[in-house]
Amino acid sequence: MRRSSFSMLSDTVHRREMTVHVKKVFFCFLLIYLFLRRVLKGRSEEMNGKNMIELENVTKKYGTKTAVDNVSLTVREGELFSLLGVNGAGKTTTIKMLCCLTRPTGGRAMIDGHDTVKEASEVKALVGVSTQDTAIARNLTVEENLRFMANICLDPAKNDKAAITEHVEEIIRSFGLSEVRKTRSGKLSGGWQRRLSIAMAVIGDPKVIFLDEPTLGLDVLARRELWQEIRQLKKDRTIILTTHYMEEAEELSDRIAIMIDGRIVMTGTLPELEEKTGEKGLENVFVSVAEARRA
Amino acid sequence: MKRTMEFTKRNLLELSRDMLGYIFCIAFPIVMLIVMSVVNESIPKEAGMNIFRIDNLAGGIMIFGQTFVMLFTAILVSTDRDSSFLIRLYTTPMQGRDFVFGYILPMLAIAVLQSLVIAAASLVIAGITGFSISVPGLLLSVITVIPSALFFIALGLIFGSLFNEKAAPGICSVIVSGGSFLGAVFFDAEHTGGPIYSVCRCLPFIYCTKAARSTIRLDFAWKTFGISMLVTAAAAVVCMTAAIFCFQSIMRAER
Repeated sequence: MRRSSFSMLSDTVHRREMTVHVKKVFFCFLLIYLFLRRVLKGRSEEMNGKNMIELENVTKKYGTKTAVDNVSLTVREGELFSLLGVNGAGKTTTIKMLCCLTRPTGGRAMIDGHDTVKEASEVKALVGVSTQDTAIARNLTVEENLRFMANICLDPAKNDKAAITEHVEEIIRSFGLSEVRKTRSGKLSGGWQRRLSIAMAVIGDPKVIFLDEPTLGLDVLARRELWQEIRQLKKDRTIILTTHYMEEAEELSDRIAIMIDGRIVMTGTLPELEEKTGEKGLENVFVSVAEARRA
Repeated sequence: MKRTMEFTKRNLLELSRDMLGYIFCIAFPIVMLIVMSVVNESIPKEAGMNIFRIDNLAGGIMIFGQTFVMLFTAILVSTDRDSSFLIRLYTTPMQGRDFVFGYILPMLAIAVLQSLVIAAASLVIAGITGFSISVPGLLLSVITVIPSALFFIALGLIFGSLFNEKAAPGICSVIVSGGSFLGAVFFDAEHTGGPIYSVCRCLPFIYCTKAARSTIRLDFAWKTFGISMLVTAAAAVVCMTAAIFCFQSIMRAER
Protein backbone atom coordinates (compact mmCIF):
# COMPACT_ATOMS: atom_id res chain seq x y z
CA MET A 1 0.00 0.00 0.00
CA ARG A 2 2.78 2.32 1.05
CA ARG A 3 4.78 1.25 -2.02
CA SER A 4 1.83 1.76 -4.28
CA SER A 5 1.26 5.30 -2.95
CA PHE A 6 4.92 6.08 -3.54
CA SER A 7 4.71 4.71 -7.08
CA MET A 8 1.63 6.87 -7.80
CA LEU A 9 3.35 9.94 -6.46
CA SER A 10 6.40 9.17 -8.59
CA ASP A 11 4.17 8.74 -11.69
CA THR A 12 2.45 12.04 -11.06
CA VAL A 13 5.77 13.86 -10.74
CA HIS A 14 7.09 12.11 -13.82
CA ARG A 15 3.91 13.00 -15.79
CA ARG A 16 4.17 16.63 -14.67
CA GLU A 17 7.81 16.75 -15.85
CA MET A 18 6.81 15.19 -19.15
CA THR A 19 4.08 17.81 -19.62
CA VAL A 20 6.59 20.55 -18.95
CA HIS A 21 8.97 18.97 -21.51
CA VAL A 22 6.23 18.66 -24.12
CA LYS A 23 5.23 22.25 -23.51
CA LYS A 24 8.86 23.37 -23.92
CA VAL A 25 9.28 21.41 -27.14
CA PHE A 26 5.93 22.67 -28.46
CA PHE A 27 6.89 26.25 -27.61
CA CYS A 28 10.25 25.85 -29.36
CA PHE A 29 8.56 24.45 -32.47
CA LEU A 30 6.07 27.31 -32.41
CA LEU A 31 8.88 29.86 -32.24
CA ILE A 32 10.75 28.15 -35.09
CA TYR A 33 7.52 28.00 -37.15
CA LEU A 34 6.77 31.70 -36.58
CA PHE A 35 10.34 32.66 -37.38
CA LEU A 36 10.41 30.61 -40.58
CA ARG A 37 6.99 31.92 -41.65
CA ARG A 38 8.15 35.48 -41.19
CA VAL A 39 11.40 34.87 -43.06
CA LEU A 40 9.70 33.00 -45.91
CA LYS A 41 6.95 35.62 -46.20
CA GLY A 42 9.59 38.36 -46.39
CA ARG A 43 11.50 36.38 -49.04
CA SER A 44 8.33 35.74 -51.00
CA GLU A 45 7.40 39.48 -50.90
CA GLU A 46 10.93 40.31 -51.89
CA MET A 47 10.72 37.93 -54.80
CA ASN A 48 7.21 38.79 -55.98
CA GLY A 49 6.99 42.41 -54.81
CA LYS A 50 4.13 43.82 -52.74
CA ASN A 51 0.91 44.81 -54.44
CA MET A 52 1.41 48.35 -55.68
CA ILE A 53 -1.89 48.64 -57.57
CA GLU A 54 -5.13 46.97 -56.59
CA LEU A 55 -8.46 47.21 -58.33
CA GLU A 56 -11.44 45.60 -56.61
CA ASN A 57 -14.57 45.23 -58.73
CA VAL A 58 -14.04 48.65 -60.28
CA THR A 59 -16.81 49.92 -62.54
CA LYS A 60 -17.12 53.20 -64.40
CA LYS A 61 -20.32 54.26 -66.09
CA TYR A 62 -20.91 57.35 -68.23
CA GLY A 63 -24.69 57.66 -68.27
CA THR A 64 -25.97 54.33 -69.56
CA LYS A 65 -22.63 53.35 -71.12
CA THR A 66 -20.34 51.16 -69.03
CA ALA A 67 -16.73 52.02 -69.86
CA VAL A 68 -15.14 49.74 -67.25
CA ASP A 69 -17.09 46.76 -66.00
CA ASN A 70 -16.30 45.14 -62.65
CA VAL A 71 -12.53 44.98 -63.12
CA SER A 72 -10.37 43.36 -60.44
CA LEU A 73 -6.63 43.33 -60.83
CA THR A 74 -3.38 43.57 -58.90
CA VAL A 75 -0.01 44.83 -60.09
CA ARG A 76 3.08 44.12 -58.06
CA GLU A 77 5.82 46.59 -57.17
CA GLY A 78 8.44 46.95 -59.92
CA GLU A 79 6.28 45.25 -62.51
CA LEU A 80 5.60 46.53 -66.02
CA PHE A 81 2.00 45.69 -66.67
CA SER A 82 0.44 46.19 -70.10
CA LEU A 83 -3.22 46.81 -70.78
CA LEU A 84 -4.18 45.77 -74.28
CA GLY A 85 -7.46 46.33 -76.02
CA VAL A 86 -9.11 47.79 -79.07
CA ASN A 87 -10.25 51.45 -79.08
CA GLY A 88 -12.94 52.03 -76.45
CA ALA A 89 -12.02 48.91 -74.49
CA GLY A 90 -11.67 50.94 -71.28
CA LYS A 91 -7.87 51.15 -70.96
CA THR A 92 -7.63 54.93 -70.69
CA THR A 93 -10.64 55.10 -68.34
CA THR A 94 -8.95 52.53 -66.07
CA ILE A 95 -5.79 54.65 -66.02
CA LYS A 96 -7.83 57.81 -65.37
CA MET A 97 -9.42 56.20 -62.32
CA LEU A 98 -6.03 55.10 -61.01
CA CYS A 99 -4.51 58.57 -61.23
CA CYS A 100 -7.53 60.35 -59.70
CA LEU A 101 -8.71 61.95 -62.95
CA THR A 102 -12.09 60.27 -62.65
CA ARG A 103 -13.95 58.50 -59.85
CA PRO A 104 -15.09 54.90 -60.13
CA THR A 105 -18.87 54.45 -60.14
CA GLY A 106 -18.39 51.27 -58.12
CA GLY A 107 -15.61 49.28 -56.47
CA ARG A 108 -12.29 50.46 -55.12
CA ALA A 109 -8.94 51.41 -56.66
CA MET A 110 -5.80 51.57 -54.51
CA ILE A 111 -2.25 52.72 -55.15
CA ASP A 112 0.31 51.58 -52.58
CA GLY A 113 -2.53 51.04 -50.11
CA HIS A 114 -4.09 54.48 -50.68
CA ASP A 115 -7.66 54.79 -51.93
CA THR A 116 -7.79 56.88 -55.13
CA VAL A 117 -11.02 58.59 -54.01
CA LYS A 118 -10.55 59.06 -50.27
CA GLU A 119 -6.78 59.71 -50.35
CA ALA A 120 -6.42 61.47 -53.69
CA SER A 121 -3.63 63.83 -52.55
CA GLU A 122 -1.51 60.91 -51.28
CA VAL A 123 -2.11 59.06 -54.55
CA LYS A 124 -1.20 62.13 -56.64
CA ALA A 125 2.15 62.28 -54.85
CA LEU A 126 2.81 58.67 -55.90
CA VAL A 127 1.94 58.75 -59.60
CA GLY A 128 3.28 60.24 -62.82
CA VAL A 129 1.29 60.27 -66.06
CA SER A 130 2.24 60.51 -69.70
CA THR A 131 -0.99 60.97 -71.64
CA GLN A 132 -1.84 59.99 -75.24
CA ASP A 133 -1.16 63.61 -76.27
CA THR A 134 2.30 64.82 -75.40
CA ALA A 135 0.86 67.41 -72.94
CA ILE A 136 3.86 69.74 -72.92
CA ALA A 137 4.09 73.55 -72.69
CA ARG A 138 4.98 74.28 -76.31
CA ASN A 139 6.55 77.72 -75.87
CA LEU A 140 8.77 76.61 -73.00
CA THR A 141 12.13 74.99 -73.57
CA VAL A 142 12.77 71.36 -72.59
CA GLU A 143 14.61 72.48 -69.47
CA GLU A 144 11.85 74.95 -68.50
CA ASN A 145 9.18 72.28 -68.92
CA LEU A 146 11.09 69.92 -66.64
CA ARG A 147 11.86 72.61 -64.08
CA PHE A 148 8.20 73.67 -64.03
CA MET A 149 7.01 70.08 -63.43
CA ALA A 150 9.69 69.52 -60.78
CA ASN A 151 8.59 72.66 -58.91
CA ILE A 152 4.96 71.55 -59.11
CA CYS A 153 5.43 67.87 -58.21
CA LEU A 154 8.28 67.78 -55.69
CA ASP A 155 7.51 68.59 -52.07
CA PRO A 156 8.85 72.14 -51.47
CA ALA A 157 9.53 71.31 -47.80
CA LYS A 158 11.96 68.55 -48.79
CA ASN A 159 13.47 70.04 -51.95
CA ASP A 160 15.20 73.40 -52.07
CA LYS A 161 16.15 75.19 -55.29
CA ALA A 162 19.55 73.47 -55.51
CA ALA A 163 18.00 70.03 -55.04
CA ILE A 164 15.45 70.72 -57.78
CA THR A 165 18.17 71.94 -60.16
CA GLU A 166 20.21 68.82 -59.46
CA HIS A 167 17.19 66.59 -60.04
CA VAL A 168 16.35 68.34 -63.34
CA GLU A 169 19.95 67.88 -64.51
CA GLU A 170 19.81 64.19 -63.59
CA ILE A 171 16.61 63.68 -65.59
CA ILE A 172 18.05 65.58 -68.58
CA ARG A 173 21.11 63.32 -68.46
CA SER A 174 19.24 60.06 -68.01
CA PHE A 175 16.77 60.80 -70.81
CA GLY A 176 19.49 62.06 -73.14
CA LEU A 177 17.82 65.46 -73.49
CA SER A 178 21.04 67.52 -73.20
CA GLU A 179 21.27 68.40 -76.90
CA VAL A 180 17.72 69.83 -76.98
CA ARG A 181 17.53 71.31 -73.47
CA LYS A 182 17.36 74.92 -74.77
CA THR A 183 14.99 74.13 -77.64
CA ARG A 184 11.35 75.14 -77.36
CA SER A 185 9.39 71.94 -76.96
CA GLY A 186 6.88 72.86 -79.68
CA LYS A 187 9.73 72.78 -82.20
CA LEU A 188 10.92 69.27 -81.28
CA SER A 189 10.24 66.20 -83.43
CA GLY A 190 7.55 63.71 -82.33
CA GLY A 191 10.12 61.35 -80.82
CA TRP A 192 11.77 64.07 -78.72
CA GLN A 193 8.37 65.35 -77.59
CA ARG A 194 7.37 61.86 -76.42
CA ARG A 195 10.67 61.48 -74.60
CA LEU A 196 10.13 64.85 -72.89
CA SER A 197 6.57 63.86 -72.02
CA ILE A 198 7.80 60.72 -70.25
CA ALA A 199 10.60 62.67 -68.54
CA MET A 200 7.93 65.11 -67.25
CA ALA A 201 5.94 62.16 -65.87
CA VAL A 202 9.02 60.86 -64.08
CA ILE A 203 10.40 64.11 -62.68
CA GLY A 204 8.19 64.07 -59.57
CA ASP A 205 9.94 60.80 -58.62
CA PRO A 206 6.72 58.75 -58.70
CA LYS A 207 6.46 55.14 -57.55
CA VAL A 208 3.94 54.38 -60.30
CA ILE A 209 4.07 55.62 -63.89
CA PHE A 210 1.18 55.46 -66.33
CA LEU A 211 2.20 55.47 -69.97
CA ASP A 212 -0.86 55.85 -72.17
CA GLU A 213 0.16 54.85 -75.69
CA PRO A 214 3.62 56.41 -75.32
CA THR A 215 4.86 55.54 -78.82
CA LEU A 216 1.72 56.50 -80.73
CA GLY A 217 2.60 57.94 -84.15
CA LEU A 218 6.35 57.39 -83.85
CA ASP A 219 8.54 55.79 -86.50
CA VAL A 220 10.26 52.47 -85.80
CA LEU A 221 13.58 53.97 -84.77
CA ALA A 222 12.08 56.54 -82.40
CA ARG A 223 9.89 53.79 -80.92
CA ARG A 224 12.89 51.55 -80.29
CA GLU A 225 14.75 54.43 -78.60
CA LEU A 226 11.77 55.07 -76.36
CA TRP A 227 11.57 51.39 -75.43
CA GLN A 228 15.10 51.71 -74.14
CA GLU A 229 14.02 54.61 -71.90
CA ILE A 230 11.05 52.60 -70.64
CA ARG A 231 13.30 49.62 -69.85
CA GLN A 232 15.51 51.94 -67.77
CA LEU A 233 12.46 53.21 -65.86
CA LYS A 234 11.33 49.66 -65.18
CA LYS A 235 14.25 49.06 -62.85
CA ASP A 236 12.81 50.80 -59.80
CA ARG A 237 9.23 51.74 -60.64
CA THR A 238 5.90 50.14 -61.32
CA ILE A 239 4.69 50.92 -64.83
CA ILE A 240 1.27 50.57 -66.41
CA LEU A 241 1.44 50.72 -70.17
CA THR A 242 -1.38 50.89 -72.67
CA THR A 243 -0.57 50.28 -76.29
CA HIS A 244 -1.94 49.14 -79.62
CA TYR A 245 1.45 47.80 -80.70
CA MET A 246 1.63 44.10 -79.80
CA GLU A 247 5.39 43.86 -80.30
CA GLU A 248 5.80 46.72 -77.81
CA ALA A 249 3.80 44.91 -75.12
CA GLU A 250 5.65 41.69 -75.94
CA GLU A 251 9.02 43.41 -75.69
CA LEU A 252 8.45 45.35 -72.49
CA SER A 253 5.82 43.69 -70.30
CA ASP A 254 6.18 41.41 -67.32
CA ARG A 255 2.46 40.67 -67.38
CA ILE A 256 -0.32 41.53 -69.81
CA ALA A 257 -4.06 42.02 -69.44
CA ILE A 258 -6.44 41.94 -72.39
CA MET A 259 -9.45 44.25 -72.04
CA ILE A 260 -12.56 43.89 -74.17
CA ASP A 261 -15.74 45.94 -73.73
CA GLY A 262 -14.61 47.27 -70.34
CA ARG A 263 -13.78 43.82 -68.91
CA ILE A 264 -10.44 42.14 -68.34
CA VAL A 265 -10.83 38.82 -70.10
CA MET A 266 -7.36 37.39 -69.68
CA THR A 267 -4.28 38.18 -67.56
CA GLY A 268 -0.85 36.62 -67.35
CA THR A 269 2.66 36.50 -68.68
CA LEU A 270 3.04 35.96 -72.44
CA PRO A 271 3.82 32.21 -72.05
CA GLU A 272 0.77 31.87 -69.79
CA LEU A 273 -1.46 33.63 -72.32
CA GLU A 274 -0.04 31.47 -75.11
CA GLU A 275 -0.73 28.36 -73.07
CA LYS A 276 -4.30 29.44 -72.28
CA THR A 277 -5.17 30.20 -75.90
CA GLY A 278 -2.96 27.67 -77.65
CA GLU A 279 -1.69 30.44 -79.92
CA LYS A 280 1.87 31.60 -80.56
CA GLY A 281 2.80 35.28 -80.27
CA LEU A 282 0.86 38.11 -78.58
CA GLU A 283 -0.86 39.30 -81.73
CA ASN A 284 -2.35 35.83 -82.34
CA VAL A 285 -3.28 35.52 -78.68
CA PHE A 286 -5.01 38.91 -78.77
CA VAL A 287 -6.90 38.19 -82.00
CA SER A 288 -8.00 34.79 -80.75
CA VAL A 289 -9.28 36.25 -77.43
CA ALA A 290 -11.03 39.18 -79.16
CA GLU A 291 -12.68 36.94 -81.75
CA ALA A 292 -13.76 34.37 -79.17
CA ARG A 293 -15.32 37.19 -77.17
CA ARG A 294 -17.19 38.55 -80.20
CA ALA A 295 -18.46 35.11 -81.15
CA MET B 1 1.25 79.43 -52.99
CA LYS B 2 4.51 78.17 -54.52
CA ARG B 3 2.56 76.15 -57.09
CA THR B 4 0.40 79.18 -57.96
CA MET B 5 3.52 81.25 -58.56
CA GLU B 6 5.14 78.50 -60.63
CA PHE B 7 2.04 78.21 -62.81
CA THR B 8 1.88 82.03 -63.10
CA LYS B 9 5.52 82.05 -64.20
CA ARG B 10 4.88 79.33 -66.76
CA ASN B 11 1.88 81.23 -68.19
CA LEU B 12 3.84 84.49 -68.36
CA LEU B 13 6.67 82.72 -70.21
CA GLU B 14 4.22 81.03 -72.55
CA LEU B 15 2.55 84.37 -73.40
CA SER B 16 5.74 86.39 -73.60
CA ARG B 17 7.04 84.05 -76.34
CA ASP B 18 3.99 84.45 -78.52
CA MET B 19 4.64 87.21 -81.07
CA LEU B 20 0.92 87.60 -81.72
CA GLY B 21 0.50 88.65 -78.09
CA TYR B 22 2.76 91.66 -78.61
CA ILE B 23 1.02 92.54 -81.87
CA PHE B 24 -2.53 92.40 -80.51
CA CYS B 25 -2.03 93.44 -76.89
CA ILE B 26 0.52 96.24 -77.38
CA ALA B 27 1.11 97.21 -81.02
CA PHE B 28 -2.48 97.18 -82.28
CA PRO B 29 -3.92 99.45 -79.51
CA ILE B 30 -1.03 101.89 -80.09
CA VAL B 31 -1.69 101.87 -83.85
CA MET B 32 -5.38 102.57 -83.16
CA LEU B 33 -4.39 105.39 -80.80
CA ILE B 34 -2.25 106.95 -83.54
CA VAL B 35 -4.78 106.42 -86.34
CA MET B 36 -7.67 107.87 -84.32
CA SER B 37 -5.53 110.84 -83.26
CA VAL B 38 -4.83 111.50 -86.96
CA VAL B 39 -8.58 111.23 -87.64
CA ASN B 40 -9.21 113.69 -84.79
CA GLU B 41 -6.79 116.16 -86.37
CA SER B 42 -8.76 115.88 -89.62
CA ILE B 43 -12.13 116.67 -88.03
CA PRO B 44 -12.94 120.37 -88.22
CA LYS B 45 -13.18 122.08 -84.83
CA GLU B 46 -16.62 123.46 -85.76
CA ALA B 47 -17.99 119.89 -85.79
CA GLY B 48 -17.63 119.88 -81.98
CA MET B 49 -16.75 116.22 -82.02
CA ASN B 50 -14.29 115.34 -79.27
CA ILE B 51 -14.61 111.54 -79.03
CA PHE B 52 -11.19 111.08 -80.66
CA ARG B 53 -9.53 113.76 -78.56
CA ILE B 54 -6.59 112.16 -76.74
CA ASP B 55 -8.11 112.50 -73.23
CA ASN B 56 -11.18 110.56 -74.42
CA LEU B 57 -9.30 108.24 -76.72
CA ALA B 58 -6.71 107.09 -74.14
CA GLY B 59 -9.35 105.64 -71.78
CA GLY B 60 -11.27 104.04 -74.67
CA ILE B 61 -8.14 102.42 -76.10
CA MET B 62 -7.19 101.05 -72.66
CA ILE B 63 -10.52 99.20 -72.60
CA PHE B 64 -10.16 98.19 -76.26
CA GLY B 65 -6.72 96.75 -75.46
CA GLN B 66 -8.16 94.75 -72.57
CA THR B 67 -10.51 92.93 -74.95
CA PHE B 68 -7.36 91.40 -76.51
CA VAL B 69 -6.19 90.34 -73.06
CA MET B 70 -9.51 88.47 -72.89
CA LEU B 71 -8.75 86.88 -76.27
CA PHE B 72 -5.32 85.66 -75.13
CA THR B 73 -6.70 84.35 -71.82
CA ALA B 74 -9.22 82.27 -73.78
CA ILE B 75 -6.52 81.02 -76.19
CA LEU B 76 -4.19 80.03 -73.34
CA VAL B 77 -6.85 78.14 -71.37
CA SER B 78 -8.40 76.39 -74.39
CA THR B 79 -4.97 75.37 -75.76
CA ASP B 80 -3.94 73.95 -72.38
CA ARG B 81 -7.18 71.97 -72.29
CA ASP B 82 -6.96 70.70 -75.87
CA SER B 83 -3.29 69.69 -75.61
CA SER B 84 -4.00 67.66 -72.42
CA PHE B 85 -1.49 69.84 -70.55
CA LEU B 86 -4.19 70.58 -67.97
CA ILE B 87 -4.97 66.86 -67.68
CA ARG B 88 -1.31 66.26 -66.81
CA LEU B 89 -1.47 69.01 -64.20
CA TYR B 90 -4.70 67.59 -62.70
CA THR B 91 -2.70 64.49 -61.74
CA THR B 92 -0.18 66.60 -59.76
CA PRO B 93 -0.70 68.02 -56.26
CA MET B 94 -1.94 71.35 -57.76
CA GLN B 95 -5.24 72.63 -56.28
CA GLY B 96 -8.13 74.44 -57.98
CA ARG B 97 -6.98 77.83 -56.65
CA ASP B 98 -3.49 77.30 -58.14
CA PHE B 99 -5.06 76.98 -61.58
CA VAL B 100 -7.44 79.95 -61.25
CA PHE B 101 -4.91 82.40 -59.81
CA GLY B 102 -2.19 81.01 -62.07
CA TYR B 103 -4.24 82.14 -65.06
CA ILE B 104 -5.52 85.43 -63.61
CA LEU B 105 -2.25 86.88 -62.25
CA PRO B 106 -0.15 86.86 -65.46
CA MET B 107 -3.05 88.22 -67.51
CA LEU B 108 -3.54 91.00 -64.96
CA ALA B 109 0.17 91.83 -65.14
CA ILE B 110 -0.09 92.03 -68.94
CA ALA B 111 -3.20 94.24 -68.70
CA VAL B 112 -1.42 96.66 -66.32
CA LEU B 113 1.66 96.77 -68.56
CA GLN B 114 -0.58 97.40 -71.56
CA SER B 115 -2.34 100.31 -69.79
CA LEU B 116 1.04 101.80 -68.85
CA VAL B 117 2.23 101.62 -72.48
CA ILE B 118 -1.03 103.20 -73.72
CA ALA B 119 -0.76 105.94 -71.06
CA ALA B 120 2.82 106.69 -72.14
CA ALA B 121 1.88 106.71 -75.84
CA SER B 122 -1.08 109.01 -75.08
CA LEU B 123 1.27 111.41 -73.32
CA VAL B 124 3.56 111.49 -76.36
CA ILE B 125 0.63 112.00 -78.76
CA ALA B 126 -0.76 114.77 -76.51
CA GLY B 127 2.65 116.43 -76.65
CA ILE B 128 2.78 116.18 -80.45
CA THR B 129 -0.79 117.43 -81.01
CA GLY B 130 -0.39 120.18 -78.41
CA PHE B 131 -3.28 119.00 -76.23
CA SER B 132 -2.81 119.08 -72.50
CA ILE B 133 -3.53 115.82 -70.70
CA SER B 134 -3.30 115.12 -66.97
CA VAL B 135 -0.30 112.96 -66.12
CA PRO B 136 -1.70 112.05 -62.66
CA GLY B 137 -5.00 111.20 -64.40
CA LEU B 138 -3.22 108.88 -66.81
CA LEU B 139 -1.29 107.19 -64.00
CA LEU B 140 -4.43 106.82 -61.88
CA SER B 141 -6.30 105.35 -64.82
CA VAL B 142 -3.79 102.47 -64.91
CA ILE B 143 -5.11 101.58 -61.44
CA THR B 144 -8.81 102.28 -62.03
CA VAL B 145 -8.93 100.06 -65.12
CA ILE B 146 -7.93 97.04 -63.02
CA PRO B 147 -11.59 96.05 -62.30
CA SER B 148 -12.37 96.17 -66.03
CA ALA B 149 -9.22 94.12 -66.71
CA LEU B 150 -10.48 91.49 -64.25
CA PHE B 151 -13.88 91.57 -65.98
CA PHE B 152 -12.30 90.83 -69.37
CA ILE B 153 -9.93 88.21 -67.97
CA ALA B 154 -12.95 86.50 -66.39
CA LEU B 155 -14.70 86.50 -69.78
CA GLY B 156 -11.57 84.97 -71.31
CA LEU B 157 -11.51 82.26 -68.64
CA ILE B 158 -15.17 81.46 -69.30
CA PHE B 159 -14.72 81.20 -73.09
CA GLY B 160 -11.46 79.26 -72.73
CA SER B 161 -13.15 76.79 -70.38
CA LEU B 162 -16.28 76.32 -72.48
CA PHE B 163 -14.86 76.25 -76.01
CA ASN B 164 -11.98 74.51 -77.74
CA GLU B 165 -8.91 76.27 -79.14
CA LYS B 166 -10.58 76.78 -82.53
CA ALA B 167 -13.92 78.12 -81.29
CA ALA B 168 -12.71 80.26 -78.35
CA PRO B 169 -10.80 82.88 -80.45
CA GLY B 170 -13.81 83.23 -82.78
CA ILE B 171 -16.21 83.87 -79.91
CA CYS B 172 -13.73 86.32 -78.37
CA SER B 173 -13.45 88.21 -81.68
CA VAL B 174 -17.19 88.83 -81.49
CA ILE B 175 -16.75 90.25 -77.97
CA VAL B 176 -13.75 92.37 -79.13
CA SER B 177 -15.90 93.98 -81.86
CA GLY B 178 -19.11 94.11 -79.83
CA GLY B 179 -17.35 95.27 -76.67
CA SER B 180 -15.54 98.14 -78.39
CA PHE B 181 -18.77 99.19 -80.15
CA LEU B 182 -21.11 98.85 -77.16
CA GLY B 183 -18.39 100.25 -74.92
CA ALA B 184 -18.55 103.43 -77.02
CA VAL B 185 -14.80 103.36 -77.60
CA PHE B 186 -15.01 104.73 -81.14
CA PHE B 187 -18.30 106.63 -81.11
CA ASP B 188 -20.18 108.96 -78.81
CA ALA B 189 -23.03 106.77 -77.57
CA GLU B 190 -24.50 109.40 -75.25
CA HIS B 191 -24.94 111.95 -78.01
CA THR B 192 -26.11 109.28 -80.45
CA GLY B 193 -28.84 108.25 -77.98
CA GLY B 194 -31.77 106.09 -79.05
CA PRO B 195 -31.93 102.31 -78.77
CA ILE B 196 -28.16 101.88 -79.25
CA TYR B 197 -27.45 103.94 -76.16
CA SER B 198 -30.14 101.98 -74.26
CA VAL B 199 -28.43 98.70 -75.22
CA CYS B 200 -25.03 100.15 -74.27
CA ARG B 201 -26.38 101.12 -70.85
CA CYS B 202 -27.61 97.58 -70.23
CA LEU B 203 -24.11 96.11 -70.68
CA PRO B 204 -20.99 96.72 -68.57
CA PHE B 205 -18.66 97.74 -71.46
CA ILE B 206 -19.66 101.42 -71.58
CA TYR B 207 -19.18 101.78 -67.80
CA CYS B 208 -15.62 100.42 -68.14
CA THR B 209 -14.86 103.10 -70.77
CA LYS B 210 -16.56 105.86 -68.76
CA ALA B 211 -14.62 105.02 -65.58
CA ALA B 212 -11.31 105.16 -67.49
CA ARG B 213 -12.16 108.43 -69.25
CA SER B 214 -13.36 110.10 -66.03
CA THR B 215 -10.14 109.13 -64.24
CA ILE B 216 -7.96 110.60 -66.99
CA ARG B 217 -9.94 113.88 -66.73
CA LEU B 218 -9.62 113.64 -62.91
CA ASP B 219 -13.40 113.79 -62.75
CA PHE B 220 -14.39 111.70 -59.76
CA ALA B 221 -18.03 112.80 -59.52
CA TRP B 222 -20.53 110.13 -58.50
CA LYS B 223 -22.55 110.46 -61.74
CA THR B 224 -19.59 110.07 -64.04
CA PHE B 225 -16.96 108.06 -62.17
CA GLY B 226 -18.72 106.58 -59.12
CA ILE B 227 -21.58 104.79 -60.88
CA SER B 228 -19.33 103.59 -63.71
CA MET B 229 -16.75 102.23 -61.28
CA LEU B 230 -19.42 100.52 -59.22
CA VAL B 231 -21.01 98.81 -62.24
CA THR B 232 -17.57 97.77 -63.57
CA ALA B 233 -16.52 96.34 -60.20
CA ALA B 234 -19.85 94.50 -59.86
CA ALA B 235 -19.47 93.06 -63.38
CA ALA B 236 -15.91 91.97 -62.51
CA VAL B 237 -17.06 90.22 -59.32
CA VAL B 238 -20.03 88.49 -61.02
CA CYS B 239 -18.00 87.39 -64.07
CA MET B 240 -15.03 86.23 -61.98
CA THR B 241 -17.32 84.14 -59.78
CA ALA B 242 -18.92 82.67 -62.91
CA ALA B 243 -15.46 82.05 -64.42
CA ILE B 244 -14.19 80.20 -61.33
CA PHE B 245 -17.38 78.14 -61.20
CA CYS B 246 -17.17 77.44 -64.93
CA PHE B 247 -13.47 76.48 -64.88
CA GLN B 248 -13.89 74.18 -61.89
CA SER B 249 -17.02 72.56 -63.39
CA ILE B 250 -15.14 71.88 -66.61
CA MET B 251 -12.22 70.51 -64.57
CA ARG B 252 -14.58 68.06 -62.87
CA ALA B 253 -16.40 67.21 -66.10
CA GLU B 254 -13.15 66.53 -67.98
CA ARG B 255 -12.17 64.14 -65.23
